[in-house]
Amino acid sequence: MFRSIIKERPHWRESASEYGFSFHTMHGEAYWDESAYYQFSLQQIERDIETPTQELHQMCLAVVAKVVDDQQLLEKFQIPRQHWDYIRNSWHAQEPSLYSRMDLVYGGSGHAKLYENNADTPTSLYETGFWQWLWLQDQVNAGKLSRKSDQYNSLQEKLINRFRVIKQQHPAETLYFSCCKDTDEDRGTVQYLEDCAVAAGITCKFVFIEDIGLSADNCFTDLDNLAITWMFKLYPWEFMLREEFGDNLAQSEVSWIEPPWKAVLSNKALLPMLWKMFPNHPNLLPTFFEDELKNSQLINYVKKPIFAREGANISIHLAGKEVYSSPGPYGDEGYIYQAYSPLPAFGDNFTLIGSWLVDGQPAGISVREDKNKVTQDMSRYLPHIIL
Amino acid sequence: MKRTQNIDLGAMRKAPKLFAFKPLALAVTAGTLIGCSDDSEQAKIYTSADECAVNNPDQVEQCQLAYKEAVDEAVKSGPKYSNIDACVEDFGRQNCASYTSSNNQSFFMPLMAGYMLSSMINGGFRSAPLYTSYSRYSPTYGKWSSTDGNLFGSTRNRNVRVSNKAFNPKPAIKRTMSRGGFGSTISAKSRFSGKTSRSSWGG
Repeated sequence: MFRSIIKERPHWRESASEYGFSFHTMHGEAYWDESAYYQFSLQQIERDIETPTQELHQMCLAVVAKVVDDQQLLEKFQIPRQHWDYIRNSWHAQEPSLYSRMDLVYGGSGHAKLYENNADTPTSLYETGFWQWLWLQDQVNAGKLSRKSDQYNSLQEKLINRFRVIKQQHPAETLYFSCCKDTDEDRGTVQYLEDCAVAAGITCKFVFIEDIGLSADNCFTDLDNLAITWMFKLYPWEFMLREEFGDNLAQSEVSWIEPPWKAVLSNKALLPMLWKMFPNHPNLLPTFFEDELKNSQLINYVKKPIFAREGANISIHLAGKEVYSSPGPYGDEGYIYQAYSPLPAFGDNFTLIGSWLVDGQPAGISVREDKNKVTQDMSRYLPHIIL
Repeated sequence: MKRTQNIDLGAMRKAPKLFAFKPLALAVTAGTLIGCSDDSEQAKIYTSADECAVNNPDQVEQCQLAYKEAVDEAVKSGPKYSNIDACVEDFGRQNCASYTSSNNQSFFMPLMAGYMLSSMINGGFRSAPLYTSYSRYSPTYGKWSSTDGNLFGSTRNRNVRVSNKAFNPKPAIKRTMSRGGFGSTISAKSRFSGKTSRSSWGG
């Protein structure tokens, strides 16, 4: 695994506007960065990332199976009591999942370690499944990269196939896509998933999260007052369960993608549970709940809120001293404590691997770089190759 | 190979796709008029939402919504031409209009001549846009045609029995009592960041 400088494609910005990739530059800073790429060997991909990703996912599912039937654990996971049955039923009914992204610490050797599991609302999907795929094709065709170059990225193919499978449970139904207003990135991610669903032969419609309505007989409705029965939402379960319409979820009988049990899978309380159930697993970092910290012998650790996004409210503690902290509005629901395992540095960049799954199948990686030790929403996205 | 084998780049482009209209005058396909198949249903054809409302005074809202759905569907999947002559050749004079898409591409489409509406037992409905041609050389001359070129008989005919594959199914209409019950956490949290336009709330 190494970082390599490459010339940008001369017309990639025109190409981005042609394909509707509108968020390659955000808040005046580059987000998509093709001034360099990462190169992996096939063995690094298969042995160190793909195989562990599959195994970690199965371990995570084992935690969910345990948590949904255990009241004490549901409390530790901060799942509101009135939704326990809703989530439990969704798990036991095996409601189908679509995708997730595990963040891994990996620098080319040794065991990749799981940072966290973004199993509910992962983004950087379009950049991974389509845009870096196109970058590779263009650079190979331009003779800038070897014809033997490959990429660990079957995301788009697997997403379309997964939609075909889920569609069988929803013949002739409209699949709604939804995200919040005022975010190009989320809108782009949802549009990409809609493109994949259309390719799978599904009829699709879009409505913003804030515009969803509720009818007298407990149906969620779109802006045309049509009943919503099947919906992909890029909006976290931990918020939905606590909002005004949360109490109508069970009766509304919507099939959600992702399904409600993802509230457990995407929860950071998953991490200390993994360490309890699979202690000393080579792909796990020692992680503890607040009440276990004292006896944990952790000296260097990262404190993360149970619910948080984009690197907010994270602090790093080394030998009893806080050496870094990021601001943010999260943390009310408590924290978990994870052994400090810094991101590998390539030059003055800290690099994080996002390892994607479609349902239970590993499907590719994304590479993010940051000048900061904690990857935040403004870190840059770089393409990768296998050679 | 560890990557997606093939991506349909045409399908990924956000500019609208142009295609020529091919009436299936002689083809017998699933969407055409059919005899006594189980999945067929009775549909009525109206030339406007008002005409529909006059004939169904208790279903005014449904008439309007079905009309809107048909117009949307026509823009989405109806015939599109890059020049007006090609459109006129297929659909006749005064029967083509120019459209500009959201990414500023101009194209020409035939005017929607009517829409097909079929009520369902559960209170829902199905609708589909219809065209007709005023060009004597077109197989669609004087006939109803769907977006994909299936013919539904003479335009004098307002009652048709069609395969339900002729429609995109539409869910039931509801009376919405309130909106905005999802999304409140986000607006509360986004005030923290102080950004005017926010980035992702995903992860």
